[in-house]
Amino acid sequence: MDTIVEMKHVSKQFGNKKAVDDVSLLIEKGSIVAILGPNGAGKTTVISMLLGLIKPTQGTVQVMGKDPRDIEVRQKIGAMLQEVSVMDALKVHELIDLIRSYYPRPLDIDQLTPLTGLQDKDLNRYANKLSGGQKRRLGFTLALAGNPDLIFLDEPTVGLDVTARRVFWDQVRTLTTQGKTILFTTHYLPEAEDYADRVILFDQGVIIADGTPDAIKSKLTLSSVSFKSEDSDLRDILRKLPNVSDVYEKDGRIYTVTEDTDGMLASIFENKFAVRDIRVEHGRLDDAFEQLTTHAEIDNKGAVKS
Amino acid sequence: MMNVITMQCKAELLRIFRNPYYVFWSLILPIIFYYIFTRIVNTNTDDNGLWQAHYLMSMTTFSVMGSSIMTLGIRIVQERVHGWSTYMRITPLPEGVYFFGKMFGQSVMHLFSIIIIFVAGYIINGVSLSASQWILSGLWILIACAPFLALGTLIGTMKKVDTASGVSNAVYMVLAILGGMWFPTDSFPKGLQMVSHWLPSYNFGNGAWELIQGNALRWENILILIGYLVFFVVLSTYIRKKQEVV
Repeated sequence: MDTIVEMKHVSKQFGNKKAVDDVSLLIEKGSIVAILGPNGAGKTTVISMLLGLIKPTQGTVQVMGKDPRDIEVRQKIGAMLQEVSVMDALKVHELIDLIRSYYPRPLDIDQLTPLTGLQDKDLNRYANKLSGGQKRRLGFTLALAGNPDLIFLDEPTVGLDVTARRVFWDQVRTLTTQGKTILFTTHYLPEAEDYADRVILFDQGVIIADGTPDAIKSKLTLSSVSFKSEDSDLRDILRKLPNVSDVYEKDGRIYTVTEDTDGMLASIFENKFAVRDIRVEHGRLDDAFEQLTTHAEIDNKGAVKS
Repeated sequence: MMNVITMQCKAELLRIFRNPYYVFWSLILPIIFYYIFTRIVNTNTDDNGLWQAHYLMSMTTFSVMGSSIMTLGIRIVQERVHGWSTYMRITPLPEGVYFFGKMFGQSVMHLFSIIIIFVAGYIINGVSLSASQWILSGLWILIACAPFLALGTLIGTMKKVDTASGVSNAVYMVLAILGGMWFPTDSFPKGLQMVSHWLPSYNFGNGAWELIQGNALRWENILILIGYLVFFVVLSTYIRKKQEVV
């Protein structure tokens, strides 16, 4: 497979804050890749560097083997930015024609509207008078106007309801059948799961997981062994056990987070810990992700600490 | 490439002429002023015909200076605040074409304003100038407004639309009044006259005022305007470069 996007040891510093920290990744042609993560994880910074809007503090970014600011790259990419904005005082069809004229091989309006769901009656309206949903469709239309090979969608479905979201992703899917590469950011886990071939999970500027949606799922899913105990020293002892990534107390129970629940049970019995009412729990993906998105910290083992 | 330039110019033109503020600030207001100060208020001038032609030039330069500073400046800020400038940077449109489109749109708008206000002067007061005076003064106004367009791009580096609109309004009014566009600088105290003669607005207006008297353009007017043009271009380019480095 050909590589279309390459980031090598890329960092981006804003003042004192490291928005992206030593990120390397390759994206293959024809894939749908989701960049998933909570707000402030560095998703938009990554996209902005790939689009050549900001320069990395360190490292190199290449799109189609060139600097993202190269005009030849720009002719082959399209993007829908988070804030869909349109020029005032232009009608929708005038705006689309204007943007089309920038590209060497643009799509016709007749080809564009079925792809993006923009209605013919909207074409004659002023672009800045459109509703939020229609503006987004227009933004999507403009992103596709140049018939790009690589499409960036930054939080494309924020503010859309469930139906509109599904319709949007159906449209995106038809694009991938034409061999286009799609890179989108989202903080909705199900969206990444359902529509991407590959999910790159970001948190605090670093990649914490990268793989197929299934692989990410198993990594995010947490197991724990919990019990009641009056032994106040027990928590410190538990923390030192191998394979235990976290210990916390909730509702009078002590939870030990581990990937190996069987091993945990064995060590409880071996060490004859003074515990009762033992339960083994396999956490749900949604819970795990929710913990992640509510500013939990993640260590490099991929386990969640609350 | 030709097609891109044409499309860009067309889009800028449409946007400018669809802006209702343009019609008011650039056309109606100067024409009302012109009517008031040549028909209603008695200005006690010796040569009424000359005054009517002089004030017509004042109002035309006033109009064109305003749209150069305000329309251009505020529009640039708006485009940036709304994220449109960011979007343009990811399209393959060369920056030069974008800039050319803006300048073209402005120039056509200025030409249009010049014609309308000249016609209004002819209708209101029967201002009579030779064909070459009409054409030369029109051309002067069209070309010599360049420093104000550069000032517009400088205003365009401001962060907020409100700031840009407040500042450009104030700068516009001060330049217009001190430059003698509302009242001739002869009526100013000596000290103020000195200041005025160094302002770009006075030098802009004076080119047209000289032409309608049958005089040639004065070098000092041209040189001072070029000086301002260079200064504003350099400053605005410098600030823009500084803002771009992220």
